[in-house]
Amino acid sequence: MRHSNVLGIVSRLVSGVALLLVAGALPWLSQRDPAASVLRARYAELEPTPEALAAIRTELGLDGGPVVTSIRWWSGVLRGDLGTSWVSGGDIGPGVWNALGVSMTLTLFAAAVALAIAAAIVTPAAFRVLRDRPQRGSGPVGVALTALPEFLLASALLVVVAVQLQWLPPYGWSGLHTAILPALALGIPAGGLLGRLLADAVAGVTEERWVTVWLLAGAPRAVILTGVLRRAAAAVVDQLGLVLIGVLGGAVAVEQVFAIPGLGRYLLGAANAQDLPALQAGVLLMALAAVLVGALAGLARRALRGGPLPPGTLPPPAERRGDDRAARRTVAVALGLLLLILALGLPRDPYAITHERLAPPSLALPFGADASGRDLLARVAHGTLGTLLPSVGIVLLAIVVALLLAVLGEIARGPAEIANATPPILAGVIIAALLGPSVGGAALAVLWVTWPPLTAHAAALIDEANAMPHVRWLPVAGISRLEIWARHVLPATVGPLLRHGMLRLPGVALALAALGFLGLGAQPPLPEWGLLLGEGIDYVERAPWTTLAPAVALVLTSVCAVAVAGLRNNRTTGSATGPRTRTGRGGEPVRNREAAQRTET
Amino acid sequence: MTARLSAPILTITGVTAVHGRGARARAVLAPTSLDVRPGESVAVVGRSGAGKSTLADITLGLRTPSEGRVLVGGTEWCTPSAGPPRGERRLVQGVPQDPSAAFVPRWTLGRSIDQAVRRLTGERDVGSRVRRAAELARLDLQLLDRRPSEVSGGQAQRAAIVRAVAPGPVVLVADEPTSALDADTARAVSAALLSITQELGIALLLVTHDPTVAEHCTRTLTITAP
Repeated sequence: MRHSNVLGIVSRLVSGVALLLVAGALPWLSQRDPAASVLRARYAELEPTPEALAAIRTELGLDGGPVVTSIRWWSGVLRGDLGTSWVSGGDIGPGVWNALGVSMTLTLFAAAVALAIAAAIVTPAAFRVLRDRPQRGSGPVGVALTALPEFLLASALLVVVAVQLQWLPPYGWSGLHTAILPALALGIPAGGLLGRLLADAVAGVTEERWVTVWLLAGAPRAVILTGVLRRAAAAVVDQLGLVLIGVLGGAVAVEQVFAIPGLGRYLLGAANAQDLPALQAGVLLMALAAVLVGALAGLARRALRGGPLPPGTLPPPAERRGDDRAARRTVAVALGLLLLILALGLPRDPYAITHERLAPPSLALPFGADASGRDLLARVAHGTLGTLLPSVGIVLLAIVVALLLAVLGEIARGPAEIANATPPILAGVIIAALLGPSVGGAALAVLWVTWPPLTAHAAALIDEANAMPHVRWLPVAGISRLEIWARHVLPATVGPLLRHGMLRLPGVALALAALGFLGLGAQPPLPEWGLLLGEGIDYVERAPWTTLAPAVALVLTSVCAVAVAGLRNNRTTGSATGPRTRTGRGGEPVRNREAAQRTET
Repeated sequence: MTARLSAPILTITGVTAVHGRGARARAVLAPTSLDVRPGESVAVVGRSGAGKSTLADITLGLRTPSEGRVLVGGTEWCTPSAGPPRGERRLVQGVPQDPSAAFVPRWTLGRSIDQAVRRLTGERDVGSRVRRAAELARLDLQLLDRRPSEVSGGQAQRAAIVRAVAPGPVVLVADEPTSALDADTARAVSAALLSITQELGIALLLVTHDPTVAEHCTRTLTITAP
């Protein structure tokens, strides 16, 4: 046990140091020659001669290699100097601190919205406890609220509230009224997720015996309610970090949509301009904000649980089975509609400019035409392939990575924690800044956040397979370790991993679309959902259908993602904890042996 | 009777086992020593948690001891640093507590047995070995076409005996082979195990809770929890 703990700590230390080094050396790592981009940005009229480029390289401090670049940057940071921008040549510090301030304010507003929404979702569930009614879990409202990714919700709010109804300004950052829409776009999905987790936890807590005992003992309602909520919150507080990381990532998209001069937009601008020192400073501040928020979550946990407990001490409340049939029907309907779009649109040409610019929807053009006069139905249908095929590739690669890393065990702990703490959009911004925006880069960013959960599952499956009695006994039959691994352990893990990966597919597709929407993924004229939505948003006042078509496809995928996540909850909690599925798969004898072992020890 | 005079085929010297590492380590097997001659049967008895199954696992080479060593036929079989030598695995075979552990669930009994015998002996045609072992264990050969889930517990345990005996071991380890069976079947299986090992001159280490089975063995080794 202690051996593996040491491995875990070493892994974390090494990955931490590697992360710091890489962060410091980002300008050097850039694949596109930074000297050339600086030259372009600053002296547009100058010819990029080798002499001029070399001079700029020395000026930027890139002549010393990655380690020197990194150490130089970090020593500057420790002295409070965040460096100079490659593009403007000015000090980075003031601009990025301002951006952080704006983002913090926006996050506070969003947190208020999120808490209000979470409270609204939990209240009915909590009161059902007192009336001793059967619990139903979070229900459709929570699902609907979590279904929309931030960039989609932000676009929808912009189109409906700011453009159509003209109730609030569509962009800017000049007072409370400009903060309402972005705070809603960020807060609604976060609040929906938080409320859903809490409501499910409340439903599970109600099953615990002490609630019945307290009710029978005639404890006052307020006391029971407080107890239930506290217990449920303690179970959910660990997920708080995930919700907050979602908000951090979502902020990039929301700030971009509403043109808010926050940290997310700052990062995006730096990535697009290849201004790597600015990107470094932004990433550093975002990481600091994440650490701060993590510390706050830790305090909340301490307050709720009365101190840090070793993992597993507080059992998670029993998982409530949601209405599986409803979830299945939802997935079927959403998938059916997507297939219909695919079937109608695939035969059409997504690139041909044959229609009137921004032609409204008609029988011949069901989704209308885009700003170049291309058929939107064809583009959305081909975008399905453009979004889903890379997603399938990402999932398959993630499974391979997961199997390889699961074998390494604790060694993979450090990278996994870093990957878990990275919002996909942030990974996309950094990769786009280094490699330039491309489908491959976006896929890499999404892969980076997809492998950790699959690795955890793979490790559990491998443990499970190794613990099966017949696998334990195979060495007696003279079968080598390698063959046991290849013929008996691996086949038992690939199937469940593939199923798990396919369930993650819609989520992966949405992350990819978010990057496309921000211009960090697929490039025009490629049809890709996120990119289509991003293109359409420029014409939203004149031709709202340009955003409607890709939005419909994205909403259908989101609905699939959330409904499917509900299904997965019911299934993988069983297999992750082990023995329960082992009895299911191995049948009676396995259970016999387990019972026998229990009496033995 | 010659068996009693011959040299021990299995020698266990001062073997202990520890579960876990560092602060959480706890001893699961007190120092144990034992000599078994060919054809002898030793009943290993003791209360739950005494380390009977651990001793069986170490003898089988499924785990290494923390101290001490195990010799088979005078050569090193298993020490704290090394498991059984490759190519010699045939020498010690076992019958598990749960017969399904001896067989891959998705394979027929025959396939599991053939594969094991082929691997352990290095012979290509193993039909005669399997037929002879099946005869000794009174297993209907037709049952070999079925999967472990399609036969009764007693039949599966007889098949597990066939799998263990067919490669031609010199030591057989049976870890409570009858605990999952009803009383009559258990008696029949124990009797088969004892008579086969005696007939073939195999040293038998039989972990059991049943005093009547222990009575039929040559000797009884009682181990107590550390």
